[in-house]
Amino acid sequence: MNRTPKMINSKVAGYSSLITFSILLIAWLAGFSSRLFAVIRFESIIHEFDPWFNYRATAYMVQHGWYKFLNWFDERAWYPLGRIVGGTVYPGLMITSGGIHYLLHVLNIPVHIRDICVFLAPVFSGLTSISTYLLTKELWSSGAGLFAASFIAIVPGYISRSVAGSYDNEGIAIFALQFTYFLWVRSVKTGSVFWSAGAAISYFYMVSAWGGYVFIINLIPLHVFVLLIMGRYSPRLLTSYSTFYILGLLFSMQIPFVGFQPIRTSEHMAALGVFVLLMAVATLRHLQSVLSRHEFRKLFFVGALLVGVTVFVAVVLLTMFGVVAPWSGRFYSLWDTGYAKIHIPIIASVSEHQPTTWFSFFFDLHILVCAFPVGVWYCIKQINDERVFVVLYAISAVYFAGVMVRLMLTLTPVVCMLAGVAFSGLLDVFLQEDSSKRMGSAMNAVTETDDQEDSIERKTLYDKAGKLKHRTKPDSPQDNGISSNLKSIVILAVLMLLMMFAVHCTWVTSNAYSSPSIVLAFHNSQDGSRNILDDFREAYYWLSQNTADDARIMSWWDYGYQIAGMANRTTLVDNNTWNNSHIALVGKAMSSTEEKSYEIMTSLDVDYVLVIFGGVIGYSGDDINKFLWMVRIAEGEHPKDIKESDYFTDRGEFRVDAEGAPALLNCLMYKLSYYRFGELKLDYRGPSGYDRTRNAVIGNKDFDLTYLEEAYTTEHWLVRIYRVKKPFEFNRPSLKGTQRLLPPTNFISRKNSKRRKGYIRNRPVVVKGKRTLK
Amino acid sequence: MWKYALIALLGIYSSNAVLQTDANTLVLLDNLAIRETHSIFFKSLQDRGFKLTYKLADDSSLLLSRYGEYLYKNVIIFAPSVEEFGGDISVERLAKFVDDGGNVLVAGSEKSGDALREFASECGFELDEENAAVIDHLNYDVSDAGEHTTILTSAKNLIQADTIVGKENSKADSAPLVYRGTGLIADKENPLVLKLLTAESSAYSYNPQSSVTDYPHAVGRGTLLIAALQARNNARVVFSGSLLFFSDESFTTAVQYAQSGVFHKLSGNRVVAESISQWVFGETGRLRVASVQHHKEGELLPPGEAYTITDPVIYTIAIEELVAGKWQAYKASDIQLEFVRIDPFVRTFLKQTKTGSYEARFEIPDVYGVYQFKVDYNRVGYTHLYSTTQVSVRPLEHTQYERFIPSAFPYYTSAFSMMIGVFIFSFVFLHFKDEPLGKPLREDKKSQ
Repeated sequence: MNRTPKMINSKVAGYSSLITFSILLIAWLAGFSSRLFAVIRFESIIHEFDPWFNYRATAYMVQHGWYKFLNWFDERAWYPLGRIVGGTVYPGLMITSGGIHYLLHVLNIPVHIRDICVFLAPVFSGLTSISTYLLTKELWSSGAGLFAASFIAIVPGYISRSVAGSYDNEGIAIFALQFTYFLWVRSVKTGSVFWSAGAAISYFYMVSAWGGYVFIINLIPLHVFVLLIMGRYSPRLLTSYSTFYILGLLFSMQIPFVGFQPIRTSEHMAALGVFVLLMAVATLRHLQSVLSRHEFRKLFFVGALLVGVTVFVAVVLLTMFGVVAPWSGRFYSLWDTGYAKIHIPIIASVSEHQPTTWFSFFFDLHILVCAFPVGVWYCIKQINDERVFVVLYAISAVYFAGVMVRLMLTLTPVVCMLAGVAFSGLLDVFLQEDSSKRMGSAMNAVTETDDQEDSIERKTLYDKAGKLKHRTKPDSPQDNGISSNLKSIVILAVLMLLMMFAVHCTWVTSNAYSSPSIVLAFHNSQDGSRNILDDFREAYYWLSQNTADDARIMSWWDYGYQIAGMANRTTLVDNNTWNNSHIALVGKAMSSTEEKSYEIMTSLDVDYVLVIFGGVIGYSGDDINKFLWMVRIAEGEHPKDIKESDYFTDRGEFRVDAEGAPALLNCLMYKLSYYRFGELKLDYRGPSGYDRTRNAVIGNKDFDLTYLEEAYTTEHWLVRIYRVKKPFEFNRPSLKGTQRLLPPTNFISRKNSKRRKGYIRNRPVVVKGKRTLK
Repeated sequence: MWKYALIALLGIYSSNAVLQTDANTLVLLDNLAIRETHSIFFKSLQDRGFKLTYKLADDSSLLLSRYGEYLYKNVIIFAPSVEEFGGDISVERLAKFVDDGGNVLVAGSEKSGDALREFASECGFELDEENAAVIDHLNYDVSDAGEHTTILTSAKNLIQADTIVGKENSKADSAPLVYRGTGLIADKENPLVLKLLTAESSAYSYNPQSSVTDYPHAVGRGTLLIAALQARNNARVVFSGSLLFFSDESFTTAVQYAQSGVFHKLSGNRVVAESISQWVFGETGRLRVASVQHHKEGELLPPGEAYTITDPVIYTIAIEELVAGKWQAYKASDIQLEFVRIDPFVRTFLKQTKTGSYEARFEIPDVYGVYQFKVDYNRVGYTHLYSTTQVSVRPLEHTQYERFIPSAFPYYTSAFSMMIGVFIFSFVFLHFKDEPLGKPLREDKKSQ
């Protein structure tokens, strides 16, 4: 009796697993190839800023080995402070690509480490979509999982951080995030130590890869906490959370950069609190089963009071004594969006820390952002332990994405998952033609799981949710009796939407997210040809070829990693913005007058200054546009010397033309940007010294540099490098004409190209042919 | 044959005084008569090995450098009234010459021309107005014509620097110096200007022909007679307001204060002029760093990559002084070493070892970063000695920390006791049979 269904079962299972497999494979391939725009348009190159450091660190690790990397003291960064790279970096990324490199070389496949770095993020996007599939399958159904996997493979919100060449932590961290959540949901469902230990290990990988691990270590306790409040406590929860927390805590402390933070900083205290709470609840449950009702109530009240008071006092005392660090600035800025702008300009100055515009939600997520609330609604309607998790995930991620552009990245996976749920719910309703088949397969699935029920308990638990849904779902629409025309129209419309989504994703990826930002491309408006601006690499190559090996280069911190990575020269500040006062010193040098900044530059042994200037080509991300941040950061540390208001006009405008503030027109950054620019005529009709970025004729055209000299300016003036003169080059402080007590006579030279003879006054002259008179 | 021997001998002789590379000297004169009136001074230079080339200052064939190489290392300008140099030379070229390391000795007079004025201001001082002369109504020589401009200034007004003015010459009882010429005004803000010789407190600088209407530019001890500039590249420029100071006349004359009548058989000019010329042309007062070594205590070579924090380190620097044309170990007890990362973390005296080099031993501070060993030795009369050596100081490696720390012993104990406990527990658990209770339970299970 069991035989025929089993054969059908295996057949159907075979087909469905084939379909699953091929869809995931296609998603992987699509995700991989849509991330290759940058490589095809430009070349296999590391993008932007941070990836350059990651690449440099990876190359160092591959060359010198893991232990050398762990102990790497980089004297070329943060001169003269230096940076302990091994202890201030999340090494997961380097280890991953280093491991791949090692493996390939063991297999005698000689791939350069750069290519591994370039293609790491696209490859990991495939793994992300698989883990998203697994997570969504746990939460809802495998159909929704396939939708989610396909969405996340191509959604721009994730592609923005994982195109080929964007070799950054996020590329692998989103995979680790999704996989950890999958294992966590699995372990909550099953209550097995195995899965929660797996979750802890995956969490360990996440900790090693990205600072965003804090999101996990707060979301999972939140999930547990909400479950407790909802009265959904179960021994499974106790097992899984206590295992996960203890193991995860120990693992996370193994990363040198994290160190003792998990037990000392406020960000991690929620996890500890929930752990204690869970233990308390578990103890109470146990006592409840042992004690009588009256005794228990007494104990409960006294105990709760005591525990509450002790915990409160302990937290206050620990914070007061500085054992538990208060929240870090970046976290404050998550709650109060205006906080960073006032207190920590260095955080606010990063464009990706700005609040998100509503436009970018649609831009990055397209139709998913509309389908996402539907998915949330579905989940709330049919709530269970793990759906509580995904609802919390969705709510917190939406909030954080609204606060910071950068955290759009954590929102994207959950949007994909819930949109997958929504679309699969929609198709469940409207793909009714083959409802008999679906019913059959669902029934088969049920019988199959029933067979396995005895052997593996956790599977039944997991499938019961699915079974319930499948049974209730097809039932309700059957009653509605939707006409087949309407169904096909709806399905067509949905398919159209999904197609548009795919088109949009491809368009956004190719236009917005595939620029390496080291090489710029622009289209000539006249003949439509595509021009490449390679000024950055030109300048960095010049530095690497023409400066001394230990030359120290001052630039704004944005370019630190690139200088170190491409020019291999010492930098003063870089994108690892760990030392605010050092950055403020550079900001002060940039915003002071030449004379004052020369003092700072000599005290820091600066040899070259590098500025980015976009006025010739109209590149808006240049140093003058960032200049106010330099002033603000400098003002934060040196309020006596630098005042932001000095750099505005009386009407509070920031302008570089003749009406600009004198402090601005004479500061070092202005001079270095516009040196000799006043002589430049960009076109025949326009005035000379016309800045295309700010659409103004510059205000201070004719000036000379005393303490610096122009060393190199790239083809489009994008990067300008100046050499700082050494003190001995000001060999002898000569007296200027105005300083002299005796005014200089206006002596006019009598020498010319023919007559080279000088002139001596009262020179004795031999007069010929005259008799001396007596 | 004897010619070669003589040249060789001369070579040996001259190499005792001046380095061959520094010997070429251009002498610019107002007129060739000066060559004769200042012959003792020029002779002493030639005796010390200088190769003098005499030219008129307005000669149209003057050439300072050819194909970018300087033909001369030193220039003497004994041409007070030159308004404009001839040929290739101009004030700018001379300033460039100083910037490229050349030494210049200039003597002016009451009637100094524009060229000298401009050059003086390039070096950070000024010559007083035209026709202004240093006048001292109390300390003038008996030979003075009546304007009290042939003044005598005591040797104690010389700068306190043995390398510049000679060891014995600046003592109070040395013979006074004869001077006739204009006063110099030094830029007060210029830290590189040295006041080699000032006048007595009763002197001032003004035109002796006219009555004093406005306040003189230089008065009393502030009246600068000979000034020097040692530029940051150690090029030296000496400016004298008096050409007479270097003349045979003043070298050989007996001096007597007209007022007090104190008599000296010979003026101090000759010895002072010669030692000033030795200094300005780099025969004395030159220091150089011969070698710098640093290494960890107990090792011989500097570490391959970086020092580790709190390493004991030995820094050795060999400093040499040019004495009579030979580089010899320099002796001093006031040389300091700084270990700098923006600010000095360690500042210590260098001690001279038996071999003549200087050594400092200290412990590297407990702060990592990029440091510099910095020796910055700046003494009047000596070249500016500046030596920096950059080293990195790294934090401890992961293997260099203490393996067992006392405060962690409770945790070690707990870990090991836990291990032992689990072992004993599992041992007991596996081998302990609960006979009386076990049987009925098993039967229960079976029945189920």
